[in-house]
Parts: sequence; structure tokens; C-alpha cells
Amino acid sequence: MKGRAAILAGALLCWAAASYSAASYRSPFPAPSELRAPAGGAGGDMLALALGARRVFADLWFVRLMQYYGTREVKEVSQAPGHEGHVHGVDEHGHHHCDHGKDYGKGSYPLFLPMARHILDMDPQFTAAGLYGAACLAFNMERGEEAEELLRHGLRYSPKEWKYLSVLAAVGYSKAENPAAVAETIAPLLKEPDCPVMLKQLAAFLNKKAGNYAAAAAIYADIAATSRDEFYVKNARRELEKFSGGGYTGGQ
Amino acid sequence: MKHVVSFSGVEKTYKRPGLLGAQYHTAVKDLTFEIPAGEVTGLLGLNGAGKTTIMKLITGLLFPNAGKVRVFGHNPADAAAKARVGFLPELPYFPPQVRPEEALAYYGRLSGLSGAPLAEAVRISMSRTGLEPHAGKRVSEFSKGMLQRLGLGQALLHGPDLLVLDEPVSGLDPLAIHDIRALLAGLNAEGRAIFLSSHSISEVEKLCSRVLIMVRGALARTVKRAEWEASPAGLEGIFVEAVK
Amino acid sequence: MTGTLRLLLAVALNSFLESVRSRFFTMFAVFAFTAVYASVLAGVMAVDQEARLLTDFGLLLTELTALAYLLFGASTALLKEAETKTIYLVFSRPVPRWAYLAGKICGSLLTAALMLAAMAVIHLSVLAFRGFGLPPGYAWVLAGTFLKLAVIVSFAYFVSLFSTSAVSTLVISSIMWTLGHFASEARFLAEKAEGFKGALLGFFLHLIPNLQLFNARDAAGAAGALPASVLLPAAGWTLASYLGGLWLLSRKEF
Repeated sequence: MKGRAAILAGALLCWAAASYSAASYRSPFPAPSELRAPAGGAGGDMLALALGARRVFADLWFVRLMQYYGTREVKEVSQAPGHEGHVHGVDEHGHHHCDHGKDYGKGSYPLFLPMARHILDMDPQFTAAGLYGAACLAFNMERGEEAEELLRHGLRYSPKEWKYLSVLAAVGYSKAENPAAVAETIAPLLKEPDCPVMLKQLAAFLNKKAGNYAAAAAIYADIAATSRDEFYVKNARRELEKFSGGGYTGGQ
Repeated sequence: MKHVVSFSGVEKTYKRPGLLGAQYHTAVKDLTFEIPAGEVTGLLGLNGAGKTTIMKLITGLLFPNAGKVRVFGHNPADAAAKARVGFLPELPYFPPQVRPEEALAYYGRLSGLSGAPLAEAVRISMSRTGLEPHAGKRVSEFSKGMLQRLGLGQALLHGPDLLVLDEPVSGLDPLAIHDIRALLAGLNAEGRAIFLSSHSISEVEKLCSRVLIMVRGALARTVKRAEWEASPAGLEGIFVEAVK
Repeated sequence: MTGTLRLLLAVALNSFLESVRSRFFTMFAVFAFTAVYASVLAGVMAVDQEARLLTDFGLLLTELTALAYLLFGASTALLKEAETKTIYLVFSRPVPRWAYLAGKICGSLLTAALMLAAMAVIHLSVLAFRGFGLPPGYAWVLAGTFLKLAVIVSFAYFVSLFSTSAVSTLVISSIMWTLGHFASEARFLAEKAEGFKGALLGFFLHLIPNLQLFNARDAAGAAGALPASVLLPAAGWTLASYLGGLWLLSRKEF
């Protein structure tokens, strides 16, 4: 009987010791009260927490964001002779697209910011998603305020993340219509592994417009070598062919 | 030692939890008997008489609610008692994918054997139980008789002084029963005490020198060989009389 | 080696061999193989984040597969041995109950290590096939998963000793695993709550192992090493469940 009592006491003591030693642990993730339920409901978030799988669900949200937005904005050169008076296409999701010309990728994507923000809620360390979302909002959709909101949201949980600060500065320069400063500000980001390809694409385009063809070619070569997005890779290869085929006469 | 097992005033009550409170069932009550060393003692009784309960009390699988059980002078739960007892439960189970030597080696290790003594014990067990011709088969290919032999084999591994066998010939064909009976007689001839329960009165008559008859948890009669041999109705008649 | 340690190892090895010989082991292996390769499809959809998504999915599937198999095993092991009377052949021998239970748990942990290693090989082969190298902190993630499994499997053995069925053991253990991931969030709520509600929530939190401690898979950046300090709670919770199970087993009748 004494032996049994000692075993039970030992069990309780071990559990108490374990709980006590774990008591100082604080989750690096945002508190549950800070998770804004997405449009589809909070079921996915609950499952993410229950499975201890915030990163996986952040990945899934990122895939959904990419599917929501798509990658049809890459073409820099219009296939149609001029685009004044063109009619914007409407895709199967009911989104308006401008597939060509200077307004490419604009469209209307009302859920883009909430979806992008939700990715960072699930995994604040998913810097690539934050940069992608901010770059799309600022430089494709010309929604600079939303881009800044997303970056500031990311900085809440990663206050030392210099890449967010760089893109924040670039957004500011973009609003001030200073493309050279935008290119210069985002230049340090380009070699980072989590730099979204569309930021590289933007940097190449801005360099090309400013006549810095060598820098533009280097960036296109990097995109062709490292990206897995076939649209960006094809575009980069197309641009490199133009560079090697006699150089550029001017940006378009 | 004169007695290998002694029960004095033993009571065992089972508690079954229920929705409206626990239910209690007394399997054995005020049970007192001894099992002599070197003899074959039988245990007879109808279903629910308490036979398996007694066997489990001897092997330390159950603990008495009252009274005292002693096996070789020790508490049945003590390692000193268990080391000298070999138990064959009713319808023993072995994992279907193992071979007999693997199963015996595992139980031999649990009996504290290892290395060369373990290998020797397994070999002897296989030989004595007639399993050597079936060494290459998996347990899934064994007949009921072979399973029973394997069960007996694991009980013999550590050379126990007392064998506790619950229905050792249950469901076996006559040839298998004959072989098992011969094996048990041989083991007894080596000086081991055997305590076996059975529904088969004829088997008990052939093997045992004394029989305990259980009726509804109580020891109704203790009958020696001389008594039932002298009785016109034999052991069956004595048994029927006791249980009525 | 002492006799009792030899007994423990015999039980552990037997438990491990029974686990891997089980036909369910093959089923789970096939499932893991299929699921990890299916994640390649999801990875392609993530385009430039394919490496991250493949890594995260593969590690999650590895953990869930191992968890499901081990919980199933732990929930049924002792019950099955009691039902088939195999346990009679064990406890009619001079086998200390503490050695038996320790052997069973060690056998399960051996199985866990094998499953994690095997699925890691499959996962890394998928990553290599897609042109990606070893993800940073991979070994730490597996170590964290192993510690998590150790805590929850030993808990399952403890529950199996008082629950009435394998299903209820499985359900209770799964709930505990889920609650373990919510522990950090629940602690936040407890700290925000005031008075009796906060105190009560805080007390119940101590009854749940905080599995987020070992969740290197989800850790900030997922490349962080597991601090050595997590070994203490892992050992504490595992040992506590073992001792609780031993307390129940010590007077259990068969």
C-alpha cells in the first residue's frame, strides 16, 4: 500500500515539475484574440491550432491567395495594337483583369488584403507572403495604403524585419512617383531567398525603364534560374533574348 | 515441503461497475484446501463454480478479498512463488505470425532465462511437447492440439515445481488428449505437482490422485482416488451427487 | 545486465516487433508514401514557395501518421493482451509490473523512432526529387515530434489502464493531443481572465501538457533548435503518465 502511494505521489510530482518547467514558455504566435476570422469562417484556423500546424495552414492560405489573384499580370507588352478603349476581361471568379499594358494585374480583388493579412496572422514568420502581398498591392494594384497596412501588420510581429521596412520605403517612393528610388530601395531584397519573384520582376522593369540594362539583365537571369513560376520565367527568357538580340532601344 | 499450495478461508468477490452502482459477485467463499507436493490434483465443477478463479489466485493474477493463499510458502504475487509455477490458461493465444521457438524464447526470457540456458530450455520444451516437427511453421498454421502443446511448452520452460493447467485437454481430439495425458504423467513422475481443472471427469479419473469438487464457489467435496475407485458410480456419481 | 533490465528489454523488443509486423504498419507506410507524394501537387501550386510547402506538409503528415498508428497501438496493446489472455502468461511469471509497462512504452517509442526515420527518408527523397536540399532544422523538427509522441503515447497507455474500451482511450488521447496544442493560447486567455475564472483556467492548464513546447515544426522560422530545457517537461510528463499507469497496473487483476 505504501509502495502504491509512493508511485502515485511520484506521478503527481513529475507532472507538477513538468508543468512548472513549461510554465515560462510563451508562444511566438499572435494571441487567438488577434486572429481575424476569414470570410470562409474560423474552422480552418481552429484546425490549424488543434493540429499545431499554423505554418501548413499559412501555406494553404498563401496558395489560396495566389489562386485568388492569379499570375496573369506578367505580360509587359500588349498583344493588342494599343490598349486605349479595350474592354477588361472577367475571369471565372468574377474578377476584372487587365492582362496587358501599364494597368496589368490591377483588377479588383477586395479580399486580397484580408487574405494576405490572415497569412501573417497564422505565421508571422512567413515573410515571403508578406512581401508578395505588399508588392502586389502597391505595384500591381496601386493600392499603396493597403500595402502599407499589410507591411505594418507584419512589422507588429517581426519589428526587426528589414525587408518590410525596405518595401515600406519603396511604397512611399512609388507614391511619390520616384521609380529610381523604388528600384534602389528594393535592390538589397533581390538576393534574399524569400524575395517574391514579382518584386524581382518589378526591379528588372524599373532598371530597364531607367536604361540600366545590365542590372535588368542580371535580374532577369536570376528569375530564369531560380523561379518556378513559368509565366515569370518565360517573360524573363523573352527579355533576355531581346537583350542578347541587339539590345533594348527603350522601355515599354 | 508437504503442501505446494494452501488456501485458508479465502474469499474472492468480483466487482462489476454499473450505471446504477456496482454489482458484486462472490466467486469463492471461505475456501480452505491444500495441494500436496508431487501429486496430480484435479478440480471439478460446473461452469461458474470458481475453478478459474482458484487458478488465478494461485498464479497471482487475482488477489483474495479475505483469507490467505500461499504458494511454496510465499504470497502468490511474489517472484519467489511465480518462479516455481508454470501456468497454462484455457485456450492460450500466441501471435499468429511467430514460430513456436520465437514464442517460447520470449516467454523464456520473461522467466529470467537467457543465452545458452534459454536455447536449451526451448529445445527441451519443443521436444517434450512434440513440437519439433512443426518448428518451421507459424502459429497461424497450428491446429488446436498444437496450440495446446505450445501452451504447455511455455509453462515448462523454467522447470516449474507446480503446473497449474486450466482445461488442458479442452477441445482436443482423442489422440491429442492421449498425448497430453502421457506428457503430464511423465512430468508428474519427475516429481512435479500438477493442479488441473477439467470438465472431463474421465480425464480427471485417469490422471489425478485426488479431486476437489467446487459447487457455487464453495468446496463441496475432496475425493481421493481410493474413494472413487471403490464407489460403484465412480467419480461421476460422486460429482453428480455433490453438485445436485 | 541485470535480470530485470533484461526482462524490460524483452518486453520492449517483443512490443516493437509486434508493432512492425502488424498489417496496419504496412497500411500506414503505404499511406505515408502516397500522402507525401501527393503533397508534390500542392507544392507545385505554391510555385516559388514549393520548398516551404513540401517541407511543411511532409512534416505534418509524418507526425499525424506516426501519431495515429502509435495511439492505435497504445490504445489496444494492453486490452488485447488481456482479452487474448496473453497477459496471463506474462504476469504468472516473475515479471515486475513496472518492467512490463516500461517495456511496452519503450517498444512504442522504438516504433515511433523507426516510423519517423522511415517517413523522413521518404520525405527527403521527395524534396530531393523536386530539387530541394535538406530543410534547415529538420533534425530538430523530428526530435520535437518524437518528444511529443513520447508524451502522448505514454499518456495513452495510462488512459488504457482505466478506460473501458480502446475507442475511448483513442478519443481521450486525441483530445489531449489537441488540447496540448491549444495550451499556449489557453494560457494567454487564463492570464487575461480575472478572479476565480482565471484561477480555475490556470489550474486546468496544469493538467494539460503543453505540446507547443516541442512543436519545432511550427516554431518561429521553423529552423530553430529545440532548447535543451524542453527535455525536462518531456521527461516529466512521460514519467508522470508512466507512474500513473503503474499505479493502476500494480493492483490490476486479470
